[in-house]
Amino acid sequence: MSGSSVHETVLSWSAGHERVIGARADESVLSAAERADLALPFGCRTGACATCTGRVVDGRIEHSRPPRALKDRHLAAGYVLLCIAEPRSDCRIEVGSDVQTELVSNPWK
Amino acid sequence: MSDARGPNETSTDGAQPGGSEGPGYTTPQAAIEESTPEKVAYVMGLYVGTDVDAPDFLGVVDVDPDSDTYTEVIDRVEMPNRGDELHHFGWNACSSSCHTEGLERRHLVIPGQRSSRIHIVDTNDRRNPELTKVIEPEEVFEHDLSAPHTVHCIPDGNILISMLGDRDGDLPGGFLALDEDFEVEGRWEPPGEIEMNYDYWYQPRHDVMVSSEWAAPKTYYPGFDLDDVEAGNYGQRIHVWDWEDRTVEQTLDLGEEGLIPLEVRFLHSPEATHGYVGAALSSNVFHFYDAGDEWRAESVIDVDAREHEGWEMPVPGLVTDLLVSMDDRYLFFSNWLHGDVRMYDISDPSNPRLADRIWAGGHFGDPAPVQNRELAGGPQMLQLSLDGERLYWTTSLFSSWDNQFYPEEAERGSVMLKADVNPRRGTMQLDEEFLVDFGELPTGPARAHEIRWPDGDCTSDVWQ
Repeated sequence: MSGSSVHETVLSWSAGHERVIGARADESVLSAAERADLALPFGCRTGACATCTGRVVDGRIEHSRPPRALKDRHLAAGYVLLCIAEPRSDCRIEVGSDVQTELVSNPWK
Repeated sequence: MSDARGPNETSTDGAQPGGSEGPGYTTPQAAIEESTPEKVAYVMGLYVGTDVDAPDFLGVVDVDPDSDTYTEVIDRVEMPNRGDELHHFGWNACSSSCHTEGLERRHLVIPGQRSSRIHIVDTNDRRNPELTKVIEPEEVFEHDLSAPHTVHCIPDGNILISMLGDRDGDLPGGFLALDEDFEVEGRWEPPGEIEMNYDYWYQPRHDVMVSSEWAAPKTYYPGFDLDDVEAGNYGQRIHVWDWEDRTVEQTLDLGEEGLIPLEVRFLHSPEATHGYVGAALSSNVFHFYDAGDEWRAESVIDVDAREHEGWEMPVPGLVTDLLVSMDDRYLFFSNWLHGDVRMYDISDPSNPRLADRIWAGGHFGDPAPVQNRELAGGPQMLQLSLDGERLYWTTSLFSSWDNQFYPEEAERGSVMLKADVNPRRGTMQLDEEFLVDFGELPTGPARAHEIRWPDGDCTSDVWQ
């Protein structure tokens, strides 16, 4: 990638496949994926619902507004909300609906 | 009703003839006597939160036993966007407004729980409804509201929607009003009357509305976390409103036995001042009533938590939906985690008597497959025929909560099941011939949620 404003972003699904997209520093990873014609799960698009949760395993992102659906323990573990997450470096992010399901478990089990 | 005709006088199959249709029945008893057996059911179908790249849809399910396509999803109205989480929905006109000239019971108002987008679907052709209008989320956020839930038509052609959060998915929630052209009118109540919101029901003859509490959208959207219960982030109160003034007159704290009060159902008789609310997490059913100088609420049914082999803590039943039969004789509710549907005789509203129950799916009760189809969830949203003889239910609660408690449902999809009810004897029997498999749709396995009938139903119709 040339220039500092577009970051190479590797999206990785638990099923094993990966796709690489270029994400601009001023757009969310979700929007960048949509521009690349890649479907990621999403819901509210405002950072409230966590449907779009991904997990950053490498690289740096910043949320453009408070990620209200994530608790401190989630943020500490690298979870991000892709609808409001903007890359600040090249990134590798786990994506797909099963990342959201990692946020909470069955409390009775 | 002077100028509106009962739906039994019009075609109930395919396109309705033009002209003004009766938007409902004059009384609950008329609904029982004049209605014909339901032929199609409208059912929410959803893909939100899965990797299936498809929008949520309104499913048209053939429930006419004489039809060649019985128990099939015969049509799907796909929404224009992905990510909505279609959840609850309602009609532009119900029996509450049956005296309003020119109103037809024809349009479904279908909100997206996660997207805050509101869809209007025209069901003039019952088997092939059409999407006619979309209210985009930005227009909802303008009124500092999000997460639309319960839709009731209210008198004069207006529509009221309970909204669970502010524009950021935080508290407080409130109510959004639409006019009869489905334009956003704005907030219905003075902001700040309540913090949490969920379901509501009104009884206009008594100038009263009762609303319940789930939590802030940002709390329940990602899934159920016990930390949130401990932090007091879930509701345990119901609010009694002055319907005309649109203000809260009384708030009833249900306490620990009333954690997460969800569906609110008044008896159908417009004279009645009795109703019920199911507290999901405490797994209790509360009876609320007008005691003269104030409203009171008492727990009248308590579902005990049960030990589950291999699970660490006793599991609550999770009373997620309940309904009252049109003759106000029976209360039905779903125990989503345990896996049973219960039927109570409520002839004495303050002393419900267990009449019968059915086990189907769930984490207890050794769920048997129906037609060799393994059930991947417990009984959830209920709908009863107007004559009280057929009870239907689906199995999905909310996509993120499903994934926590019934993870297989994402891969297998929901089912819709049915029981034959004998109101005279107070019994139910699972209809083994009836199975609608939402796991077998061309776009992939879908979750199925709320069910509505074209001609009025036991969970939305209100009489003035």
